Amino acid sequence: MSAMLLNKEKWPDFVGKLTGKQLWAPQIKDEQLRFAPVAEGEEPALDYKNTRVPPKNVVFPQTETLFRFQVDGEEVDEPKLDEEVVLLGVRPCDARSMVIVDKLFSWDYDDPYYARRRELVTMVGLACSEPGLNCFCPSVGGGPASTEGLDLLMVDLGENYLLEAITEKGEALINETKELLEETRDANLEQKEKVINEAAQKIKRSIDPEGIPVGLPGLWEDSLWQRVSASCLGCGTCTFLCPTCHCFDIQDETEGFESRRCRTWDSCMFEEYTLHTSGHNPRPSRLERTRNRINHKYNYYVDKFDVIACVGCGRCINLCPVNIDIVEILKQVKEAL
Amino acid sequence: MSANNEPNIVAFLCNWCSYAGADLAGTSRVHYPSNVQVIRVMCTGRVNPLYVMNALQQGADGVLVSGCHPGDCHYMEGNYYARRRLGMLKDLMEFVGVDPRRFHMSWVSASEGHKWKEVVEKTVEDAREAGSFEGFRRRQIDW
Amino acid sequence: MDLEKLRETAAEVVAREDVKYLIGWKNGSYGYRVAPAFIEDAEGAAELIFSPLCISNLSTYLTLVEKLPLPRGQEPDTRKIALMVKGCDSRAVTQLLVEKGIERDGVVVIGCPCPGMIDYDLLAEKYPETEGLSEVKWTDDGFLVIRDGEETNVTRDELLAEKCRLCRYPNPLISDIMLGEPVETWEPAEDKGVEEVDKKDVNGRWAYWEEQFSNCIRCYSCRNVCPLCYCQDCILDRLNPTWVNRAVNFSENTAFNIARAFHLAGRCIECGECERVCPANIPLGRLNRKMAREVRDKYGFEPGLDPEAEPFQASYKPDDPEDFIL
Repeated sequence: MSAMLLNKEKWPDFVGKLTGKQLWAPQIKDEQLRFAPVAEGEEPALDYKNTRVPPKNVVFPQTETLFRFQVDGEEVDEPKLDEEVVLLGVRPCDARSMVIVDKLFSWDYDDPYYARRRELVTMVGLACSEPGLNCFCPSVGGGPASTEGLDLLMVDLGENYLLEAITEKGEALINETKELLEETRDANLEQKEKVINEAAQKIKRSIDPEGIPVGLPGLWEDSLWQRVSASCLGCGTCTFLCPTCHCFDIQDETEGFESRRCRTWDSCMFEEYTLHTSGHNPRPSRLERTRNRINHKYNYYVDKFDVIACVGCGRCINLCPVNIDIVEILKQVKEAL
Repeated sequence: MSANNEPNIVAFLCNWCSYAGADLAGTSRVHYPSNVQVIRVMCTGRVNPLYVMNALQQGADGVLVSGCHPGDCHYMEGNYYARRRLGMLKDLMEFVGVDPRRFHMSWVSASEGHKWKEVVEKTVEDAREAGSFEGFRRRQIDW
Repeated sequence: MDLEKLRETAAEVVAREDVKYLIGWKNGSYGYRVAPAFIEDAEGAAELIFSPLCISNLSTYLTLVEKLPLPRGQEPDTRKIALMVKGCDSRAVTQLLVEKGIERDGVVVIGCPCPGMIDYDLLAEKYPETEGLSEVKWTDDGFLVIRDGEETNVTRDELLAEKCRLCRYPNPLISDIMLGEPVETWEPAEDKGVEEVDKKDVNGRWAYWEEQFSNCIRCYSCRNVCPLCYCQDCILDRLNPTWVNRAVNFSENTAFNIARAFHLAGRCIECGECERVCPANIPLGRLNRKMAREVRDKYGFEPGLDPEAEPFQASYKPDDPEDFIL
């Protein structure tokens, strides 16, 4: 796979070339950084740590119509998914999260909607040179320049971006924009190593997950769950903003005779999530729900797919309104083992 | 709003006064606009503000709530509660940017067939001026 | 406030036999974070703090704790919950008493007169958070930010939270134990946020809220954090009838936000928690404050002041304004 240089002066042209396709990139909208479609002439904001909401809604929209139908009809009308999307400026952790979620959506049953959207997306990553305060990706198998899930990785080398193709899709993207790119020199590759090493040095938080997946079942009745869940509000901030959280709810929405079946994100932190028709709730309080969140990420998922369902992006720590800190919880878990 | 620019109005009428008033308008052959879909409730006091929201979401361009005059409520005080609640709702909707012409409340007694006609005419006229309320429709099914 | 005295008082309170635990504030895990603390013994009481970072309203935990069915033969725990409150939080407690959401005998209210809290976002923007714990203290005319051992004096105006600029009740209105002397109240600032929206025309307001509500991700943190949103069966969770669809789009988000604001009209005590916790930065406080202002101006009612008052939406006056009626 090839590696090329893109001078930052040519950046607008590079973006211009891509806007022919549906281009999503971080942009500041309503004073907030988020992934949004880039219109012609607009420029993505790349000087950022990470977006508040992960780009997972590009492949797994918060609300997705599965099909439409008439209540008295016999036909269903399915969505046509054929628009190619380029996701520009994805952080390596968010790209990695998609690889992790892929395992679930292609497990016992292939989810056609998710699979199709995944096929249509080209992921152009941007390695972190200034990691955030709560990043801990190296602890869970990632890194500031991890290429997992990416088609193309960009590394900021000051004056230039280094573009490295990871997959065929990435290679194709390089070919498309060839006239804007320059050949790399050995010095560039050394510079890249330096940037990445420096970034890794800047990551302050860490946990050692060794022993946690096997140890968690033994802590089922431990008092630590009471301690860490006491302040939980039961809101969905941590799960909705988590790049690997993938739970959904399916509803039929009917207006008159027109109906659609849609799926929306759901959160295991909601009381309604496990509520049975009978009124019984197997996870009746915030304690069980918090325990489930940690267990799902660090135990069940590891059991099933051999990977921790947490990429260490730190969003749940940043935005929890009551400072429930997953690193602290895991430290307590380690102590209790 | 229908194709010929006629607004859809949903009216919640209390069983004891306004519904009878609207009935009287009918039996007295008073002509009033036919845009109104009447929903009979036992008392305006049981009109949940969410009824108003849901009506607007599901295709109404205007909503009318009508009940007994203050002091005349069949249940003594239901309309007083409604007045306070729906007054608040009107303020809130106005702050959110829902045109105040889309929501009205009135007192129409069982003997006021002509007042009913005036109220409906005013509601329809206001909703027509405010225009179609597509922006808030539930049926924005996007793929 | 004297922290020694606070911790001493807290230790005494939790030592009481009729007190189950005390809810207060403690240092969080890093930076400027402060976390709610559930204290059961003297050791825990030593962790308590009260600083300009203790902006969260802890009274929400009074109704948040699940009332699970008890195993046969087990007696319910009827011990009291002790709670640290600022001025605004104490109004939430009063409003809960008005609505009979809690019983007066069930709580021990520890009042903390509040000179004004810091806006976390403003603080973190000017003085970025570090991985170590930072401290903020009140000074005579502002705040002292201690970050990595480096001390910075900041004026009060620079960092004061919006809700505190508008605050009219910095001293707890209800308390069993008062910590420290009452603070001097200040002239509440003009509510620029509400004004900004108010002066737009109706279409401008719709456009403004359309932009805001479109960002809503429906995590319901605004509902959950609110001390006065404690219905066992919330209309937003209802499926039959489905008042608000689960789909996340502008129409449903708007319906949800209007419903939420409406249910708080005449009940909201303006603690600003909804706005603080919103991950989408929707200025929810503007909706609530607007309604609170309408209720005050038009109906002469203010929630959370008098535990004997009638709940606003469950009462009426024969001469309530009716200028909007045709």
